[in-house]
Amino acid sequence: MPETILITKKLFSGYYGGDIVKDIELSVSSNEIVTVIGPNGAGKSTLIKTIAGLVPTREGNILFEDQRIDHLRASEIARLGIAYVPQEANVFRTLTVSENLEMGAWTLPEKKEQHAKQVYQLFPDLKERKNDRVGNLSGGQRQMVALGMALMVDPKILLLDEPSAGLSPKLVSEMFDIIKSVNQNGVSVLMVEQNAVQALKMSDRAYVLASGKIKLDGPASELLQNVEVRELYLGVSS
Amino acid sequence: MLQILFNGLLNGAVIALPAIAFTMLFGILKFPNFSIGAFITVGAYAAMVANTYFGWQLWLSAIFAMLITALLIWLSDQLVFKPLRSATSITLLVVSIAVAFIVESIIRLIFGGDIQGLDLELTRPIRFGGFRFTIDQLWIIGIVMLVMLLVSIILKYTQLGKAMRATSDNFDLAEVRGINTSHVIAATWLMGGLLLGLSGLLIGIDLVIEPQIGWFLTIPVFAAAILGGIGSPYGAMIGSVLVGLAEELTGAFLAPSYKVAVGFVIIAILLMFRPQGLFGLPEIKK
Repeated sequence: MPETILITKKLFSGYYGGDIVKDIELSVSSNEIVTVIGPNGAGKSTLIKTIAGLVPTREGNILFEDQRIDHLRASEIARLGIAYVPQEANVFRTLTVSENLEMGAWTLPEKKEQHAKQVYQLFPDLKERKNDRVGNLSGGQRQMVALGMALMVDPKILLLDEPSAGLSPKLVSEMFDIIKSVNQNGVSVLMVEQNAVQALKMSDRAYVLASGKIKLDGPASELLQNVEVRELYLGVSS
Repeated sequence: MLQILFNGLLNGAVIALPAIAFTMLFGILKFPNFSIGAFITVGAYAAMVANTYFGWQLWLSAIFAMLITALLIWLSDQLVFKPLRSATSITLLVVSIAVAFIVESIIRLIFGGDIQGLDLELTRPIRFGGFRFTIDQLWIIGIVMLVMLLVSIILKYTQLGKAMRATSDNFDLAEVRGINTSHVIAATWLMGGLLLGLSGLLIGIDLVIEPQIGWFLTIPVFAAAILGGIGSPYGAMIGSVLVGLAEELTGAFLAPSYKVAVGFVIIAILLMFRPQGLFGLPEIKK
């Protein structure tokens, strides 16, 4: 039985106006890929930002490896092995590729060289451009830098906000393959994704979020076949 | 022409350190801090106290001025800006003007409004034909260049410097990568204070000391920072030299009273044609 490493209990969070995420009960087990899908404005990004510590929790708890993390700063959460990759503004544009990776290794500087080698093996394009400013790279390469930074600390769980956003179809497949291979190396993944069909195909479980609340959850393969999900969220008619 | 270039370089040197401090603070805190001028004045007066009241040598007075200014500017953050961290940049801008007035008024209250100066040996200018300069001016340029080199090394090669650049570039991302941004903010205030304190002393050497010396430098400092690409310390260094040269070159054709307008004109032109400055990256539009 896989161990549950991340749990949210009756979680409410949001910005100044009010709650965006409402009463969320979610869990991720070790080595699992869990995807959150839903329409725009459903609160998917807010949910993942709350877990990462960037949006304050108003009510409820977030537990990581049985430790409450909802009161911690984002930098303290990062030190526990939770690596969040934002959808936008996910790289340091004025720093070089190698400096970005170095910042990724901030909490584990002693393994900086070793992990940078692994990231360059995963993304050979980045090795060729390691001294270039990231602001000068293509969107796809920036996304690689963003994921590469998160991998610099041997994370226990990756929190990915729309990892395929802005990528060409070919790069989307490559990105999902890489996420899958990272997961096979023992890293759990909690992912928010608009590209729902592909995301569900590679996930173990999924949650459907609408208006800040969980509408459905279950094994990803079952949700893929669910008529309501297919029509409302996957754009596939039955 | 050589004289104009030298004077321009000297002008640039005088505004370079405050411009670096301004741009570093802006990069991380995202508001234009109008109180930096007042802290240049703090540095100048602290140096004067050490040099003329305590009788300390200039190098020791410089260290004293840097430490006092760093301490006071850090205190201004702790007491005023830190509780307002989530306020808008306009609110913070207005608050920084208030801080500037308060600091300047305290200085005026303690030291009066008279013109004062450091206890410097009088030296004759060195002349080559029509070109003249003083040893003090060479010292100012030399020290500023050395400090700029030191700042570059810190930003480029040290962990703290890289964390400062990362936090300046993307605050939230720095935080989620595990960088303690509170420490980085404190370090940036302290480093900015050291630079402003030193620049106060250097201005005291080049000019006179009075309660508004820092305030008069605010616009050229802003122009230099914007020209270099706001938030970019390297840009601020080059921007300072260019603004210094522009002030001097226009001085050759216009009355000296128009010199102050040069900074405004540079800011206006940049805002119209290249708001990201010479070395800044344009914002990504989605």
